[in-house]
Order: sequence, then C-alpha cells, then structure tokens
Amino acid sequence: MTSVGVMEKLNLKWLPCDRQDKDTQRCRMGAGLMASLNLRIGSPVLICTSGSACLCRAWPRSDLAEGYLQFDTKCSTQNFSSQTFKHVSFTPQHITPLKCPKLKILKVNVVVKSSVFKKRTAGPLICELVKEMLKHMYVYEKHVVNVSSLDTGIDFVLVENVNSGSTKAGLVTGKTTLDVGAVVTLKQHRSRVQESASTSLGGMEEVYASLKELLLLPLHYPSALKKLGITCPRGVLLIGPPGVGKTMLVRRVVKDIGATLITLNGPVVLGSRPGESEENLRKMFKEAQEASEEGPCVLLIDEIDSLCPKRAGSSSAPENRVVAQLLTLMDGIGTRGFFVTIGATNQPDTLDPAMRRPGRFDREVIIGVPTLTQRKSILTCLSEKMPLCKGLDLCALAEMTTGYVGADLSALCREAALQAIRNAPQEFGEKRIEMHHFHEALKRVQPSCLRSSIGLTDYRPVSWDKIGGLEDVKLKIKQSVEWPMKYPESFIRLGLSRPRGILLYGPPGCAKTTLVKAAATSSHCAFLSVSGADLFSPFVGDSEKALAQLFRQARACSPSIVFLDELDTILGSRGDRRAPHSVQSQLLSVLLNELDGVGLKTVERRGTGEKVCHTEGHIESQHDQKMQYQEVCNKDVMVVAASNRPDALDSALMRPGRLDIMIYVPPPDYESRLAVLQLCTENMPLHSDVCLKEIAIQTDRYSGADLENLCKEAALLTLQQESMEASVIHHKYFVQALQNMKPSLSAQQIDSYQNLFT
Amino acid sequence: MEGKAPEVRRGHVTGSGRKLKDNAADWHNLALKWDRLNDAGSTYATNIVNFTLQKESGKEASLLASSGGAADAPPVQGLNPSSRELEEECVKLQDVVEKMTRVLSKMEKMASSDQGICALETFQFGDEGRPTPLFHTWSTPHFAAVSSRLCESYRQELSLKRLILQEVAHTSDPQLAMVYLSSWLHQPYTGDGDRLLLEGLLLETGHRPL
Amino acid sequence: MSTHAVATLHQQLRKSFRALADNQRAWNSVLAECAPLLGSLGNLAEQLRALDGVQIARTPLARFPDLRDRLRCKLLQAVDVVLAKLTEKTESLQTVRDAVHGLASAAFQWYEQNADLLDLATCTLRSAAAPSIAELLEWLQDADSYYRQQFLRRRNLLQMLRPDELSELESAANWWASIDSPDGDELISEMLFRVAVFVDSG
Repeated sequence: MTSVGVMEKLNLKWLPCDRQDKDTQRCRMGAGLMASLNLRIGSPVLICTSGSACLCRAWPRSDLAEGYLQFDTKCSTQNFSSQTFKHVSFTPQHITPLKCPKLKILKVNVVVKSSVFKKRTAGPLICELVKEMLKHMYVYEKHVVNVSSLDTGIDFVLVENVNSGSTKAGLVTGKTTLDVGAVVTLKQHRSRVQESASTSLGGMEEVYASLKELLLLPLHYPSALKKLGITCPRGVLLIGPPGVGKTMLVRRVVKDIGATLITLNGPVVLGSRPGESEENLRKMFKEAQEASEEGPCVLLIDEIDSLCPKRAGSSSAPENRVVAQLLTLMDGIGTRGFFVTIGATNQPDTLDPAMRRPGRFDREVIIGVPTLTQRKSILTCLSEKMPLCKGLDLCALAEMTTGYVGADLSALCREAALQAIRNAPQEFGEKRIEMHHFHEALKRVQPSCLRSSIGLTDYRPVSWDKIGGLEDVKLKIKQSVEWPMKYPESFIRLGLSRPRGILLYGPPGCAKTTLVKAAATSSHCAFLSVSGADLFSPFVGDSEKALAQLFRQARACSPSIVFLDELDTILGSRGDRRAPHSVQSQLLSVLLNELDGVGLKTVERRGTGEKVCHTEGHIESQHDQKMQYQEVCNKDVMVVAASNRPDALDSALMRPGRLDIMIYVPPPDYESRLAVLQLCTENMPLHSDVCLKEIAIQTDRYSGADLENLCKEAALLTLQQESMEASVIHHKYFVQALQNMKPSLSAQQIDSYQNLFT
Repeated sequence: MEGKAPEVRRGHVTGSGRKLKDNAADWHNLALKWDRLNDAGSTYATNIVNFTLQKESGKEASLLASSGGAADAPPVQGLNPSSRELEEECVKLQDVVEKMTRVLSKMEKMASSDQGICALETFQFGDEGRPTPLFHTWSTPHFAAVSSRLCESYRQELSLKRLILQEVAHTSDPQLAMVYLSSWLHQPYTGDGDRLLLEGLLLETGHRPL
Repeated sequence: MSTHAVATLHQQLRKSFRALADNQRAWNSVLAECAPLLGSLGNLAEQLRALDGVQIARTPLARFPDLRDRLRCKLLQAVDVVLAKLTEKTESLQTVRDAVHGLASAAFQWYEQNADLLDLATCTLRSAAAPSIAELLEWLQDADSYYRQQFLRRRNLLQMLRPDELSELESAANWWASIDSPDGDELISEMLFRVAVFVDSG
C-alpha cells in the first residue's frame, strides 16, 4: 500500500466529468488515493473547496491512474455547479469520507420549470416524482440536487434537512419519508438566489416602511380588509429623480415581503408591429396574474412615463392605444388582491392623468434627492464593505456631496476605491481608502441631478485666502452665505432667519465673482451659475423655462447657491424704456416668483418634516442634532446676484425677502491692493528692489483686475526689454507699466456707487 | 306462468319468448356484421380521403385547373390511375353502405316484430301486460323499447354514413375530411349505452350466461 | 479467503448479467409494443383537433347538430382506452426496472458486506477473461440507473398527459421517442458484450 504521507501531498488535477459518469454522483480517483483515504467502492465522500461542497461516491478510475480527480456535481451546494475548477488545485484534504445512514425523513423544496407545470401537477404527484428521482442517492443538508437532465419539469431539488437535522448526510431509500416543502418556479428561485446578494438600503427607511406597509396590507390581510369593506390599494406610483434608488427600493421591499417581482420595462414592451405593444403588455400582466396565484406578486413598471405619455399631447394613435390598454389592464387586476402594480418615473407630469387616480395608482410615494442625513446613511451603507481609514469623517463627506443621489454616491465610492488602487497598485495587502481619495473622486463624479443643467459650471475651488484684502466684505458674505449653512442652530436660537438673496454690487473687476466662488467652496454646497448668454434663446418662452428649470434643479440639490452674474443684463428693470413684454421682463417675473413663490411643487418634496420633533425627544449625539438642524434649515436655495449697475435693476427685486442683503464690493483700498499685489506676484520672481507697498500707494482707483493686469504687464515688459532669458522682474518695469495703464475706475464712478443706496 | 322461468333456463321457449330470444340473437349477429362492415368501410373511406387529398396537393402543385375530376360523384375516368382507383374505392364504400342499409332494414323488421309481440301481449293480458316477465326481469314492452332504441341509433348512424359517402370524396379540406373519417370510424350515434342495451338483451334472453 | 469471496461474487455477478440480458429483451419488447399505442394517441389527438377546427354548421354535416359532442365523447373514450393500455405497459416496464435494480443492489450489497475481504487491489484487478469487480459493479449500477431514469421519464410523460391538451397528445409520440436513448441501450448491449466471455466462463 502507498504510504499515507506521500498521498497527503499529492496534487490532484481536476478533469471534467466523463459522460458516462454524469448524474451518477461518482467521483473518480486513483485506487491508491482511495485506499489511503480508507474508502471502499461507492463510499460517500464530501468534496469541499472554498465555501462550497459536493457530495459524491468514491469510485476507482478505470485506468487506475493516480493524480486526477473527476466528479459529478449532481448533489452540491448552490454555488458549486457554476464553478469550474481548472484553476483550483485539489489535494486529498479536500476529500472527506462521510458516514451516510439510511434516511428516515427528508425535507426538500422543489424548483419546477414553469408555473404551468406547478399548477397542473398535484402535490402528491410531485412528491412521488421527487422521491423516485432521489431514490438510492446520497444527499447532504442544504445541497441542491440537479435533476434537470431527467426533463420532467422539475429542475432542482433543494435539500432542506435530512433526518430532521440530526444528521448532515444520508442515503435515500424506498423507506425514506419525503416531505416536500415549497414548490417554486425556476424564475422565483433564481430571483431569490440573486436578491440575497442585494445591497442594503441607506436613508430610505421611511419610504421603505411606508411602501412595505402599503404592499403588505393587501397582500397579507386581504380578508381583514374585505371585512372592513375597504378595497386595497392596488397601485403605487414612485416618483423621484433618476438614480435615487426607486427600482432598488422596490426590489428590496419585494424581497423582504417574499413576493415575486415581475419587471416591465417601457421600451422593451413597445414593439414595431401594430398591436405588438398591447400584446406584450397583456402577456406581462397575464404572467403577473399567474404568478400572483402562487403568492404575492408585484409588477414593477419602470420608466412608466415612456409607456404612458399624456394622450392629448401625443397625437399618434399607437401610443394612445398602449395607454388605453394599460389603463384597462390596471382596472382588470380586479378583485384578486395578491397583485400590486408599482410604477416608477422621474417625470410624473408627463404621465397620462388617467393613470394617477385611485383605483389605478392609488398612492404616490415621492423619493427626493437625499438630504444630508440620508446621504450619510447611504454612505455608511455603501462603505460598509470598504476598508476605510480610521479617521474618515463620513459626515464631512455627506456635507460635501450636496445634490448627489444614491447612484452618484455609489459611483463616488467606487471611484474613490479605484483611486486608492491606482495610488498604490503594488501593495496588495493593506489598502485603506482615505479622505483624499474621496476628494479626488469628487472631482470626477458630478451629481446627476445637476447634469445637463445650464447652471453647472466647472469652477476651480477658490479659498478665501486667494482673495486679497476686502476683509469686511468677506466677513459680510460669510455671515450671509456660509453661517446659515454651517451654524443653523445658532440662527434658530437667536430667531434669525437666513437671507433669501444677496446682491453684490460694485465697480467691475473688483472680485465679485471670485468672492461668490470662494463662498460656495467653503460652504460645500451645490453651485449653479448662469449669465445672460446661458438663458437667452431665440424661442419664445424658452428662457423663462430655463430659469425655472435652474431653480428646480437648485432646489433638488439644496443647499445650493444660484449665482446670477451680471444680473442687470439678464433682467433689466420693468420701468425701463424697453417694451414691457420683452424677454427680460418675463425673466424678472420668473425670478421674483422663484424667490418668494407660493411653494414647492409636490414632486420636489424631499425627506420628511418629522425630524424636528425627533431631535427634541431623543438624546442623540450633538453632531447628529446639528446635522438635522442643517437639514431642516437648508432646504432653500440661496440666490446670489452680482451686478455693476444696480441702479438699472428693478426695485421689486431689492425689497427684503428677495435680494435682501446688498453688499458693496468697493474698489480695493491700500491694504487690499497690497494684498492683491502680493497674491498676484506670488509666483513671479521679483527683484529685491521691487516695493509692492509703493505700487499699492500709487494704484489708487485701480481695481483688482487692473492690479493683476499690471503685474502681467510688468512681467511682459521684462521679457520685451531684457531678453527671453530674463529671470527677475525689476521695479522699473512696474513703474513703466503703471505709466502705460490708466485706472479703470473714476472717482466719480466710485462716488456714485457709494451713494447709491445711502 | 311460473313454469316459464325454468323453461328459459333450459332453452325451451315457445311463443313470444321464443321470438324475442331469436330476435336478440339476430340483434347480436347484425351488430357484429355492422361492425365488420364499418371496419371495411373505414378502410375504403381512408383510401378515398388519401386519394382526394393527394390529388388536391398534386393539383395545386401543377397549377392545373380542375377538370371536374372531383366535382361529380363518379369521378371522370382516365385522368390518372388514381382517379380510377378513387372511383373503385367509392364504389366499394357505396357497396358497404348498401349492405348496411340492408342490415338496418333487418333491424327495423325485428323492431317492428318486437312491437308486434308487445301489441299481442297487450291484447292477451290487457294494458297491465304480462303479470310475470317472460325471462328474468324485462317486461315485454321493454324489449320493444330497447329494439326500437337500438334501431333508431343505427338509423341515425346510417344516415350519417350516407352523408359521408356523398361528401367524403368531394372535400378538399383536410380537417373536414378528418372529421368525416373519424365520424365514420367512431360511430358517434351508437354509444356505450347501445352496447350496454345489447348486452343486457343477450343476458336477459339467456344468450350470455349470467 | 479472499479468493473464495471473489469467486462467490463473480458467480453472483455472472447470474446478474445473465438476468440483465433477459431483462433488456423484455424491456425492448415492451417498448416496441408501446410505439403503435402512442401513434394512435397522436392520431386521436389529430382527429380531436380536426373536430375543433371544423365548423360543423357550415358543412354538409349540419344535419347532425349533436355530432360534435357525440364524436368528441367517442374520441375521448378512445383516448382513455389507449392511455389505460399504456399504463399497463408501464407496469411491465416497472417490473423490468425493479428486477434490474434488484440485481444491482444485491450484488453491491454483497460487496459491501464482504468489503473487508476484498481490498481495492483485488477489486481493480482485471484479466483477459474477466473485467475487474469495480467495473462489473459499475456496469450493473449503470444499467440500474439507466432503466430507472428511463422508467421515470416515461411514466412521468404518461402521467403528465391529459386528454384535453391536444398538443400534448399529439406530441406525446415524439416525446416518447425522444426519451429513447440509443446510447443507453447500446451501453447495455456493449456491457453485455464485454461480459460475454466472463459470463460464459462460469
């Protein structure tokens, strides 16, 4: 006999199962190996690889060769049969001899090919069939027996437990009592297996709970509802922007309540042949109906707006017919209350109104763009399986990601992980995702609700230090923009309401735009910026629509800042000489409306209002409380406008409640000029004779832009007069440049600004 | 009267009983004959259908206009060998139906003779009829009812067969032809009930051992 | 001791293979009898379908208003008769299956009980005259599982058939034929051929 020690080290090469060994549960190995494992012909063995196992009967190879392993996977764990083992090296340790007693009781679940088969075949018949199939087979607890090759309509038998759990494995004989538990169709089985791997939900607990209740009520208590004389809601319309997780929510709910999910995609249903779309619809509903006879069933119509547009709007007959068919089918769901339809859309306004009435879509559940706390919980969910570095502050990350929906956040996390891999591709072991990876990823992943927005600008973050001087202006802006967003609780404590809008005015070139950018950067909010050119369009009504759209998007990803640059060019004044119905006056009225309009559209709702009382009742960490305060207070959009001709603006805009804070951005004074010059020349090699203070003194009435220009001019002069190899800038060139340049502001102009609102 | 019953068992029956017993035997034989004829006819009818359908497909293939080959009951001869064969089969089938007609007329005679016996009994014993049954349990009018019922079934069957004879060679619809054939073969008007009645008749009259 | 055990087992296996040959013949003859029955089942289904397809009121048969019902009833009766005959045939198939299973399990059981006497080297030893014990057992088991599988599928097919599902009745013959596995039957024949010398030597 071969020595055991040698056998232990033997590496077994896996080969695919021979054809004649299919479905025999045989495991072919060398006779020597069998002897060393103390196996007889036909002894049951368990072959385990990483996390999966397969039950076989040992059998000597007919060519008696050692070193090979072949086995049939008829009875194996769920994930086993789908694997190939080319790259797995087997050793004798993988093979465990088992003791398999004859079974008394076997409990199984059955997976059948189709619901037709299930409906037609009586339970006892299935039981008998399964028993016949399993007879003389070895089975193992929780294994799947593949019987699809028999072609009987039964595909798999899932072994639930053997001998009521007292043993793990056993031999099925004629005397074994077979207990068939559930009979499910292949589709259901697959979906169950798939869904068990689905991710967890973050930040949608409330919507989840309400949806679940809605579905559970008619599905599980139909009789109670009947007694009360209530008809159950049969349809739910989910509304929310793309990527917030509507479909995922439905999948999750469906999985949790154990219902069958049938997904119907609008575009898939539509066919080119006349009548094909209706036929497809009917087919899907029939399928759902059939599934609902076996248990609760949810029919999810994704992108229902594509399937069901307003009939009046679209004149084409085929579309109208599809809508009519859908309405009829939804009405026809009728009395069998095990069937709920869920429609998901991001454009509820384009739906046919007939759809949105009780009896069809009884309820409408709105999922908004996630709020701060929601984002935090989404991030927590997403990063659960990621190796984050210890000090990573998810709250800070949540604050930074305004306007990001669930899909964006998951893209963000993925991108961050990729960054981490890119940065350290060699080290394989310890890899942690750090904050700077997220920062990098933030640059690449834009919030999807801002995509395709006209206001989205790709601005480089500007920090406050990059703006020289103007300290009091900076403070004022911080007060009105940054503070309400960062310290809402203090505002509430003092009964302060945050400003709705801010107007920055002042002579051109004095860093109004840069100031706003710095404010947006430091407050981490979505920043949308438009100027006249973005808005004006040759089509009637387009400009107004664009502006309204801008505000809608800004609200969707609030807290956000809408920056209207050169406000005077966009709006003008109503009292102007121009025609009263010009585009500009129309835009003005839109803006006035958006600033203090009656309210939000229902579909723009986000989060819930319950949070406020929540904070008072429970003892929570201070940070959470702060986050919730921020969430409550920052639902609004801050409008920041900049103009160098405030006198040309309509007076209605200026009243409190609209653009209620005016900040004069003056031309830089001496200190500011010095600061600006210092900033501008930071990267310039200055000769030691350059005296910035002196230049600052000489540049009265020069704007910030002028000063920047001056520095450039001086540098250019250096190149011009010395040579291309010049390495330092002398003071004389500054003086020379100064002589060539006139200040862009006049004293009179500055006076007029200063006296404007005083 | 009481002596009648043992007589039955011994096979010495006279008068009405004798007549009824003979009729029962005849019924059995005629039914058998009918079934034989039916089997033969079924073969012929199948052949006819096969011929016509073949011709139909052949006609379609060659795009030949119908020369009336299948329009008249006796198909025009000489067109092709199959049309002569078809005619032969039709004649055979017709022959079968004629024979069946003769079988039926015999059946009708028996039915009327049973009716006659019944009338005689009424004449002999009044409206109540014979106080004890002739054989085991059946009353004489029951015999008459059974035979007329059987007769009616076969009459229906025959009229169906006549129709099939007329039509079977003329249909080009394979489905209809199939219905013709299966209604010939399966004899929808003589059901299990009739077979049961016939067996009952034989049992009652002692042709079958109890 | 070991040689004695081998001889006994060989004797038993010889008997088993002889019986297997008989059973194969029996099985195939029953199958041959089934084929025409399935053919007539398909034929009846075709007739039923034709009956459904023809609008009797528009044909010369309109004179017989109750023809459809009566004929359908007759046809369904005929289907029942055929199905009953087929069930009878499956019972004979079952006896074959049980017999083969008995052979295989008896031989295997004997091996298991005497496995201590028969080490693996003995079991895998083969000669010109006799295949190894492992192979013989394997073949018997293969035959057993082949007949079990065949029987299971055939009976399942018949159990699934319902007279009101015309398309099923029509395709039953095809399904039945598709269950035929020439490989399987060849396997048995080949097996018997390979053991011929061994069987005759005893």
